[in-house]
Amino acid sequence: MTSTGHLEAPGGGAAEGPAGSITYLEAIRAALVDAMREDDRVFLLGEDIGVFGGAFGVTAGLLDEFGEDRVRDTPISEEGFVGAAIGAAWMGERPVVELQFADFITCPFDMIVTVAAKTHWRSGQAIPIVIRCPTGGGVRGGPFHSGSPEGWFVGTAGLKVVCPGTVEDAYGLLRAAIEDPDPVLYFEHKRLYRTLRAPAPLPSHRTPIGPAHVVREGSDATVVTYGSGVTTALAAAEAVDGDVEVLDLRTVWPLDEAAVLFSLEKTSRVLVLQEASRSIGAAGLVLSLIARKGFELLDAPPALHAPPDTPVPFAPELEDAYMPSVASTAAALADLLAY
Amino acid sequence: MPIEPCVDAASVGREDRIALFRLVLLQRLFEERELVLYRQGRIPGSVYTGRGQEAVAAGAGLALGPDDVVAPLNRELACHFARGTTVADAFRNFFGKGTSPTRGRDGNMHFGAPERGLFPLVSMLGDLVPVVVGAALAFKRRGEPRVALTFLGEGAFSVGDTHEGLNLAGVWQVPAVFVVQSNRYSYSTPVSRQMVNTNIAQRIYGGWSIPAERIDGTDAIAVLDAVRAAVERARRGNGPQALEALSVRMHGHAGHDDARYVPAGMREEFAARFDPVERLASRLLLDGLSADLIDGVRASVTEEIAAGLEEAEAAPAPDPSTLEVGVYAAPPWPDR
Repeated sequence: MTSTGHLEAPGGGAAEGPAGSITYLEAIRAALVDAMREDDRVFLLGEDIGVFGGAFGVTAGLLDEFGEDRVRDTPISEEGFVGAAIGAAWMGERPVVELQFADFITCPFDMIVTVAAKTHWRSGQAIPIVIRCPTGGGVRGGPFHSGSPEGWFVGTAGLKVVCPGTVEDAYGLLRAAIEDPDPVLYFEHKRLYRTLRAPAPLPSHRTPIGPAHVVREGSDATVVTYGSGVTTALAAAEAVDGDVEVLDLRTVWPLDEAAVLFSLEKTSRVLVLQEASRSIGAAGLVLSLIARKGFELLDAPPALHAPPDTPVPFAPELEDAYMPSVASTAAALADLLAY
Repeated sequence: MPIEPCVDAASVGREDRIALFRLVLLQRLFEERELVLYRQGRIPGSVYTGRGQEAVAAGAGLALGPDDVVAPLNRELACHFARGTTVADAFRNFFGKGTSPTRGRDGNMHFGAPERGLFPLVSMLGDLVPVVVGAALAFKRRGEPRVALTFLGEGAFSVGDTHEGLNLAGVWQVPAVFVVQSNRYSYSTPVSRQMVNTNIAQRIYGGWSIPAERIDGTDAIAVLDAVRAAVERARRGNGPQALEALSVRMHGHAGHDDARYVPAGMREEFAARFDPVERLASRLLLDGLSADLIDGVRASVTEEIAAGLEEAEAAPAPDPSTLEVGVYAAPPWPDR
């Protein structure tokens, strides 16, 4: 893969798989290609997405099929091109923005929360934009290339925030996001790009924005997670002595409250797992929901497994200690089950 | 110094001149009424006016074609009126009525009318520069002969978004027009403390190779002439265009601001010679229009404002139970 010149997440090269299977990254690319073939309004903007195919190679080959107008390289100006995407969406286009790293979402923050999020509520004008954000750590990217900044947008009225944790949802959530009338922030996890592989979803596949999904049924405890946490939780569930349910939120905002409470009713124990640092974002929202509406259902205090409140560190020894692993998640689960 | 009549540009005919006069007067008299209502405590929050800058709003608003789009800001009420916003609509927004253009969710000049190509103002200055560039990009993609225009103050020239937007407009060569209101102050800060080179037209041309000229922002005929030409250049595929309209902000930043930071006499001297409304009235007299006709326009505008105000005051307050409707595109935004 290094021969392509694109950044690659460590932790494994492309997983080998049977014919007809694709990686998480290829699922994202397939969703873009299929959406662009079906709808002329869909076009892409971002840094180095054309000739170079994007820093991670997600848009590799798209320039050849769709041309410069629809695969539009931009200068380094996130506030500018996210704003331009909003203006194009105002005029009925369906722009899909690629941020080179999710961390760079600090730059167009104002455009997202001021303009994209509030325009429909105060004017009735829908702003159907998608912002793709290569997110997450475990890639030795350090404090500016490893973040999970979705938490800043969880709770922001007018935005939808989705975090696919499977190949199927990488495809299905992106197709749904592009067709959605609202601004959608799509956080695609860099570590999953080439480590997840599954059968290619059908072009008709959509993962609806909103509903969470039980990816593993269980009766003793629930892990509520999303994004990179899904594979971690599934492996941890196998490693503990107990029948563990894994609930993949998929859409972290607005939160599928009913799904969380439904699972809790079944298991009475809950562990919230996220890769964002412990005091930000979806985890607090889920725990607040459980405190307010699930208190009577609990057999144990709700648990949280998440990194400490620091930026993502660089050195392998530090980052490995920072990131929730299968082992550390299994340990947290074992504590919860033993309470 | 006596009032200086507007220029006699041949491209701006009699009908346009009368339309311009109605628009500058509408903004002037509406805002005078608005300030009274604010001081009486009948308008909540804050109010903004564009006294001294009405010619820019009216000229640019009238220069656009029916399918063009625009993002007016706080000083451009006449642009709203040129694009079909009614006096009642505007007052309803100032009052926060349930049937206002924002359904009471935002106030004063913070409203648009997307269905008529008016993007709703946001307070973060410079934001709408990239947004209109994106609208213009959509027109270019589809090969539509349409233009997107935004206003911005000289104050917005210290904001990064403005520079990012202008850069994209230049790189992409989209049909966008930027009308800069150089009114000498951003809130209380004079232009001399905002930037080193205060010639914004020069900076736009030098920095982004976007054709830009300085125009007299108190001369409605000159503004219409120049913006119309810029809009048509953009429409014909000549890329983005910019104008820097020079004027003086005759009021404080907002209704609460008495502008004590402005040197004594500056505004009075300016108004005596360059008041946009009186400059245009003076030109109309030179054109041979009768004083009676001009007084007739004043009377009809006064009447239009009174009637619109009455209609707006009678409008229902917003229903708090609808607050969460329309955060997202489904369920639909509340009807009025």
